[in-house]
Amino acid sequence: MDTAFALQLLVNGLMIGAVYALIASGLSLTFGVIGIVNFAHGELYMVFAMLAYFVAGYLETPFSLSIALVMLTALCVGAVLYEVLLRRLAGKDFERSVLGTMGLAMVLQNGAIFLFTTTPRMVPHTLSYSAYTFGSVAVPALKLLAAALATAALGLVWWMLHHTQLGRAMRGLAQSHDAAMMVGIDVRAVSRLAVAIGVGLAGLAGAALAPVYSIHPTMGFAFIFKAFAIVTIGGLGNFGGTIIAALMIGMLESFAGTLGSLVMADTLSFAFMILILLFKPEGLFGRGVRI
Amino acid sequence: MNGRLLAAILIVAGVAVGLFGSTYVLTVGISAAIFATVATAFNMVYGYTGLLCLGQVAFLGIGAYGSAVLSKDYGLSFWLSAPAGAALASLFGLLIGYSSLRLSRHSFGIATLTASLLCVILARNWVEVTRGSMGLPGLPAPHLGSLSIEHPRDFFWLAFAFAIISIAIMAAVLSSRIGRGFLAVKGNEALARTQGLNTLGYKLLSLAISAFFTGLGGALLVTHLTIVDPSIFDFYYTETLLIMVVIGGLGHFWAVILSAVAFTVIPDLLLFSKDLRMILYGFVLIAAVLSFPKGIAGLARQRAVDGWRKRLAAQARQAAPATSGGSSHG
Repeated sequence: MDTAFALQLLVNGLMIGAVYALIASGLSLTFGVIGIVNFAHGELYMVFAMLAYFVAGYLETPFSLSIALVMLTALCVGAVLYEVLLRRLAGKDFERSVLGTMGLAMVLQNGAIFLFTTTPRMVPHTLSYSAYTFGSVAVPALKLLAAALATAALGLVWWMLHHTQLGRAMRGLAQSHDAAMMVGIDVRAVSRLAVAIGVGLAGLAGAALAPVYSIHPTMGFAFIFKAFAIVTIGGLGNFGGTIIAALMIGMLESFAGTLGSLVMADTLSFAFMILILLFKPEGLFGRGVRI
Repeated sequence: MNGRLLAAILIVAGVAVGLFGSTYVLTVGISAAIFATVATAFNMVYGYTGLLCLGQVAFLGIGAYGSAVLSKDYGLSFWLSAPAGAALASLFGLLIGYSSLRLSRHSFGIATLTASLLCVILARNWVEVTRGSMGLPGLPAPHLGSLSIEHPRDFFWLAFAFAIISIAIMAAVLSSRIGRGFLAVKGNEALARTQGLNTLGYKLLSLAISAFFTGLGGALLVTHLTIVDPSIFDFYYTETLLIMVVIGGLGHFWAVILSAVAFTVIPDLLLFSKDLRMILYGFVLIAAVLSFPKGIAGLARQRAVDGWRKRLAAQARQAAPATSGGSSHG
């Protein structure tokens, strides 16, 4: 393999990885702060991609505005979701939260099939077929845009977690629920915001990727498994670990998918996850909850 | 309700369906018999041993594919191929169990779920064995002497007998020492281990037995449909099993069987489309988790306990004036 080709695969992998990081980090943040593995996260991503499709189709808003609209909606949905469902499941049996969020996933996925059928939809975009070239490396414009948005959003969340009072409260809550309460952190408000941001990240992913992949009701299902593999490898609730794991999986897929087959890429990422679980059950980047 | 009475009612209902049922009723009956067994097997793992294994559909599919390949490509009779497929499922259960049971409970759920997803990828792409998404059509019917079990009535009797035998075996296991071991693992694993219980062994045994009967159910299911394709690994089955076990009541043997039968029969009678059914199931699951996490059987038991408590309190109140009046000092 010559270097130009390798470089191309590397860039492809990084772009896939950035998008995976966007979805998986929402999952990780939710788990870190309220201790719930949200099995409906992939379906939420699908719903927001659908929403982006309808916003683009009916309101005919420009791409940037529809991304902002969808993301804003996602933040609100996240807050409502926390108040209506997740708050009642947090801190209880882990199994209850699995069943509850899985029920939500069933409603969302089958609801989407019922309303919109399983026909895949595409969001047309003026940049759909254009690409930038840097030296010998060609980058599809929309994928680059999605990756840039993902990087910006994740950078913002990272900054928030480490440099604001709110972020410190979230990390404190992740470390010890009781201690956080004792020092006067408003657990409910902070948790609500964490879930809102987690769902908001899924919304951003849905809207940014709407013109890249075709949209259909079962798309979230495939993505969520990838996201599970990523958070398991990176360590559940470990925000930084999740991002690194997402980039690793993206790279693995890019190389395996090109040199082998797409099937191999899927199988490899799961095999990788199982290997990690076997040898490092707490994930690659250390034990415990850390966001 | 009394377990023995429920069992008797279910058996009488089954015999009635077998004797008088129309073809349609018989077909629903076949599904009900298979799902009652598979749900009981899931109840064993989740309800009794406390392991939320989201890979049950993998056992179902591996039993189905194993049996189908052996009977179609190797000409094995159903009576040999189905147990062989089930044994394969059981082996797979041990494998994922051994590799993922050392993890936290979160990771166990995710790992078993992933295992079932890997099975779909395998079923779609290991074309030499599974024929990919085309599947294996035209599975041969089981033979009993010179009788080919093809007619729905005959097949119903087969499924019914399978359900009774499998459920009886699982009931026997659960009421034995082994079953108490499962409950000990669920109740307090650390305590069970300090009592010298091999908790990992019990968990693996629970998974292996459950996988065996689930695999057998899968083999029967695809033999009835006469085709197996990757949709046997559809997550839909996992969700349906979860509903049956959670709504029935985790760890309540007969209640789960009853809810499995109800959840097979009722949606079919009401002619719900699969999507609508799953939307409804989703809402039911959320409602159950929020308001009666121990299932309908748990709710009934809670009611009964409350009743006793009220009666005891009333008795105590009746007895109270005499004693307290005597010792009162004004």
